[in-house]
Amino acid sequence: MLCCWGMLVHATLDFPGWGDPNAPAHLHVAPEYLEQAYEETATPNVVTAVLADYRGYDTMFETAVIFSAGLACFFLLRVQPRKEEEEDRFFRHLATDMVIRIRTPSMHVPDSPYLQQLDPYWTPRSLIVRAACRVLTPFIQLFALYVVAHGHHSPGGGFQGGVILGASFILIALSHDLRTSMKMTPEKLMGVLSPAGVLIYAGVGALCVVAGHNFLDYGALAEWLGTAPEAARSLGILFVEVGVAVCVMATMIIIYANLSSAGGYKQGL
Amino acid sequence: MLDLLAVLLTLGGLVFFAGATMGILRFPDFYTRLHAAGKLDTLGALLTMAGLAVYNLHPFSITTLLTSLKIGFAVGFIFIASPTATHAIVDAGVRAGLRPWVKQEDEQK
Repeated sequence: MLCCWGMLVHATLDFPGWGDPNAPAHLHVAPEYLEQAYEETATPNVVTAVLADYRGYDTMFETAVIFSAGLACFFLLRVQPRKEEEEDRFFRHLATDMVIRIRTPSMHVPDSPYLQQLDPYWTPRSLIVRAACRVLTPFIQLFALYVVAHGHHSPGGGFQGGVILGASFILIALSHDLRTSMKMTPEKLMGVLSPAGVLIYAGVGALCVVAGHNFLDYGALAEWLGTAPEAARSLGILFVEVGVAVCVMATMIIIYANLSSAGGYKQGL
Repeated sequence: MLDLLAVLLTLGGLVFFAGATMGILRFPDFYTRLHAAGKLDTLGALLTMAGLAVYNLHPFSITTLLTSLKIGFAVGFIFIASPTATHAIVDAGVRAGLRPWVKQEDEQK
């Protein structure tokens, strides 16, 4: 092990110094990106331009990786409760605060505004936490949309915005309960949105092929959008960012719901 | 004049931050430490960021005013979120059965 460590340390001696402008990484394509990114893509934020335009393939498959992470989580953890073995279900009558226990597994209780299903293992959070989270959530979501839409001009973009958006729903699941959160983000809808995000990304790329350019060459969209090719690239980046954000948000929610409830989608955490 | 106000606000915030740090280091148990961290950090952040917002107004224009307003929003959210988080942590501590610290003599009685 010491020998290995010595070799690694020896290898670091060949690294360029910190912040060395002549380091190989800064000489190859980076100056071109820095000089031409704005002229070619009309995007002030070079990082976004490189990520979504020059290296669009990378980002597309990153999105696909996130989607497959959610898929793996779903397949590994999701369990459907078997009908015969269904345990007791508890409902609270909101007006009288009485709790009803239903044992018959086949009995179907319709969704009603007077009854609230309870989870026996779930301890309710305090009113303060719930109220504060309810106040903050819309602002968090608004900020998430801002981060997605403003990825061209300031740090941010699809991944970050999607994570914030997903986290806002997870906050609701933490402060209220998983059932409330899953009413806002139904499992089936998330299951559709997660691949839909990847499809939006790939679809924008395919549109460019239809218009006669290379895959993910957003300049091709200029005719349809009625703008200059540079502005079309900027808009194309926005479209794929939306796709990334949708995919990341849905995947976050799927992963959280599966992990926190061990796949049962009841409150377990 | 504005600069003076900014310096005063920031210094006041730093006093509270210092108090919070002392409290976290010196207080005897979980609850008292959280008390120091939750309260003083909130006020410290409030004052420091208010100082930043005032300092930012220096060449007064719509742009700087907007930036200061954004800082104001951040302060508002900290003011809501930080005490709530402290409350949630204390709540979890109580539920987990952690007993508050008492003085040695009181315990022996």
